[in-house]
Amino acid sequence: MPLHSANFPFLSAILIACLGGLLVVLVLPARRQKEIKWVSAISSAITLVLSLTLFLAYDRHLGGLQFAERIAWIPALGISYFNAVDGFSVPMLLLTGIVFFTGVLTAWEMTHRVKEFFALLILLVLGVFGLFMSLDLFFIFVWYDVSLFPMYLLIAVWGSTRKEYGAMKLTLYLLAGSALILPGILYLVVVSGLETFDMTALMTAGIFSPAQQKFAFLLFYIGFGILAGVWPLHTWSPVGHVAAPTAVSMLHAGVLMKIGAFGVLRLGIFLCPLGWQHWAPLMALLATVGIVYGVFVGLSQTDLKYVIGYSSVSHMGIVGLGLATVSVEGLNGAVFQMFAHGVMTALFFSSVGYIYDRTHTKQITDLGGLSRVMPRASGYLILAALAGVGVPCLASFWAELMVFIASFKVYPIYGGLAICALVVSALFILRVVQRTCYGPLDDRWRHLADMTPTRSLPRLILAAVIVLFGFFPSLMYNLVQTASIPLIGGLP
Amino acid sequence: MKWMIFQSELWFLIMGGVFLVLAMLPRHHPRRDHLTAVVMALVGMAICLASIHFSGDLFFQTYRIDRYSQVFKVILAMGLFLVVMLCDDLSGVEERLHPEFYALLSLCTLAMMLLVSCVHLLTIYVSLELSSYCLYILVAMRRERRVGSKSGLKYFLIGAAASAVMLFGLALLYGATGATYVVDLIKALPPKMAHPMVAVGLMMTLGGFFFKLAVFPFHFWAPEAYAGAPNQVAAYIASASKVGAIAILLRVVAMGGSGAGYLVHLLILMAVASMTVGNLSAIVQKDFKRLLAFSSVAQAGYILVGIAAMNAAGFTSAVFYAVALLLMKLTCFMVVVLVAGEGRNPSVAQLAGLHRRAPLLALALMIALFGLAGIPPTIGFTGKLLLFRAAMQQGYFYLVLIAMVNVVISLYYYLLVIKAAYLLEPSEPQAALRLSLHHQALAGFLILAMLLIGFYPRYLMDVARSAALLLL
Repeated sequence: MPLHSANFPFLSAILIACLGGLLVVLVLPARRQKEIKWVSAISSAITLVLSLTLFLAYDRHLGGLQFAERIAWIPALGISYFNAVDGFSVPMLLLTGIVFFTGVLTAWEMTHRVKEFFALLILLVLGVFGLFMSLDLFFIFVWYDVSLFPMYLLIAVWGSTRKEYGAMKLTLYLLAGSALILPGILYLVVVSGLETFDMTALMTAGIFSPAQQKFAFLLFYIGFGILAGVWPLHTWSPVGHVAAPTAVSMLHAGVLMKIGAFGVLRLGIFLCPLGWQHWAPLMALLATVGIVYGVFVGLSQTDLKYVIGYSSVSHMGIVGLGLATVSVEGLNGAVFQMFAHGVMTALFFSSVGYIYDRTHTKQITDLGGLSRVMPRASGYLILAALAGVGVPCLASFWAELMVFIASFKVYPIYGGLAICALVVSALFILRVVQRTCYGPLDDRWRHLADMTPTRSLPRLILAAVIVLFGFFPSLMYNLVQTASIPLIGGLP
Repeated sequence: MKWMIFQSELWFLIMGGVFLVLAMLPRHHPRRDHLTAVVMALVGMAICLASIHFSGDLFFQTYRIDRYSQVFKVILAMGLFLVVMLCDDLSGVEERLHPEFYALLSLCTLAMMLLVSCVHLLTIYVSLELSSYCLYILVAMRRERRVGSKSGLKYFLIGAAASAVMLFGLALLYGATGATYVVDLIKALPPKMAHPMVAVGLMMTLGGFFFKLAVFPFHFWAPEAYAGAPNQVAAYIASASKVGAIAILLRVVAMGGSGAGYLVHLLILMAVASMTVGNLSAIVQKDFKRLLAFSSVAQAGYILVGIAAMNAAGFTSAVFYAVALLLMKLTCFMVVVLVAGEGRNPSVAQLAGLHRRAPLLALALMIALFGLAGIPPTIGFTGKLLLFRAAMQQGYFYLVLIAMVNVVISLYYYLLVIKAAYLLEPSEPQAALRLSLHHQALAGFLILAMLLIGFYPRYLMDVARSAALLLL
């Protein structure tokens, strides 16, 4: 795979922006809440600008791995600090930048233990950024765990409904995933006989025998699959979503679940392409079950956040189905869906969070007629819902379309089932919207204020991104296929 | 000037002597005793560091000073220094006993230092006993006589039985090979490994070290001793004493060479049993010290995973993990010592509100616990990665998988402790813990060491490798 460096270390700069923000937040005294929030906002804005620059500056004709940086870290073990991005990771970095920035803005009203909250939030995002850009297995694992363990405290301290249970369940599930990933990594490193954790060296075709690839792929698929919400390992996800505070839900559903899918893509598919082809039917089956299951369980939920939680399981199933098709369109659709779903869920959680902060309820039956008192908030909620349903001209439409086209070629039955499920999901999501935003207005909510323009800024950004990529999907499509075409072309 | 290479041991002998003299003085000065101990332990650490490059033989070749022993001496001296730093409020021990307390601590450290250098079966036994006897008394020194004597006696009885078994094992080894020098045994043992007498002898000998390391099924003394001992002594047993045990276990296992299939099987079996039993038992513990005791049993299991690999990478990782364990366990016990007050045993629930009472301490505790659980980027993760990588090199995939499952189990109870420190509010409001300047510095040092070595382990790995290579 061709490797290109840049003059400026963009990737490390992103990490340094997070790390710098983290250190400043740690140094500031806890009572200076305003300063802490500003520092977090600035640090996240820098990462957003840098990731946007990457998105625009990535040379789509050149392809391959760009902006490479490499420093020998532990030569004795073959570990190096090695970052580079390709057409798969650039969208993920942009997504993280967007969700991080909007998440910090959404959490602006936070007053409880502000310093620790923002420190942990930045730490989490640091891990996510690191994971998306790293090409060294040691660092990938380190970043993976760095992005997970702040979740425990973030949910357990600042969360709501059954927060301690949700936090513990989430942490144990996700780290159970790492119990498979680390042996998988060590297995590949040792059997390769290369004494290196460098992914580009390990990606060379022919290093691993088909049997080894099948074995290792399964480890990565299950390990990262837990985080990606693959059915039946998804049960931590709705519980965790519901328990988490708004900004954390945004990052969690928007970005963290993508780490799982990205891990399957980066470690499983890149290192063990034969294993991928071997297990693809299983992946397709589980993904389809996830899509259908998520929709039907979502139908019976009365808690707004549970609805989004189960629709996330369903939407991540679409990512899994895309990956399982072993085709260029499938990969394009899957990565695009990861991006689109991330932005859409962030908007969803952000709007619900605003409503919850005002009404202190997430029960659909308690709400109603909110569009009359808070038209802006309801507007964003409706837009997110429409995006979730897959309405044309919004980003996720294109992603889902690509996945379905690809899956009809390989798995017509699964594809058909998935589309049927999507229709049902339209039904249930629209029902939720109708119950919360329209209908009779409860007297309790009559005095509530709508979002001020500043409050709505993070939602505006997210909504704009959804619409932008809905109208110009080729912005993303051109980028992703620089990675997917060579990957599929290089398959044995 | 041949004796110069013996200087670090001599220094700790002097330190023991000084405190014996102080013990005979009629007036009690806890502060004077503590200051003397801190200064002497610090000088001892400097001397050990200065003599890290020494090498040579003493006492008719029964005593070898090489890179391996010197590295461990530095670690041990550091352990003693850190423990002594925690002793300024030694309220768990009666004031008149303070000089004896320090004397026994320094003699115990001396014994471990002898232990890591011994290359003769008898001297190994004698130094092991010396260190054990010091610890038996230290455990029983608790101010509440009943608690202290009970656990001290239990520790002593199990320990005496273990050392009797070990002595018998040593005799069998001698009977089978006619050799008592480790150098001769390295040559004589491998061809005879299949001989039943050697097999039984080796296992019984190892039993003595497993007792020291608290490996299942030799771990029953650990929770009792940890809970019954004064907090600082428990800290010492959990850290420095374990380091000594790892050092001598490595030397004896390396003696068997690679020709011992059953030895490897035994180690793997003990590793799996120890990890699982330790972690499962720790889940139900309410007392923080007991929890740490069972977590020590589990940690010993992780170390055996690396030792069972029986290769350079495995021994290197065990040395590395010894340092990791020292730092992590001492951090936990620092919290025990400072939170408990009056030398009592803290329960996990008593940690409630720690994040507000002492943010620095809570942070240190969190990092140490994440390290023990093996979460990056801490020294504990890097250590486990090295251990597991070594095992994987020998093809023990399932051993690594079981170890990782154990890591997840252990995370549960570590998270409960973190939850207590960060989430729970104390039932009655408690005053902030005022950390003295040197405790703040100590906590800061431990945090930095655990994170920096975890993230950039290169230098410690080089040191560990240079030490471990001498074993092969």
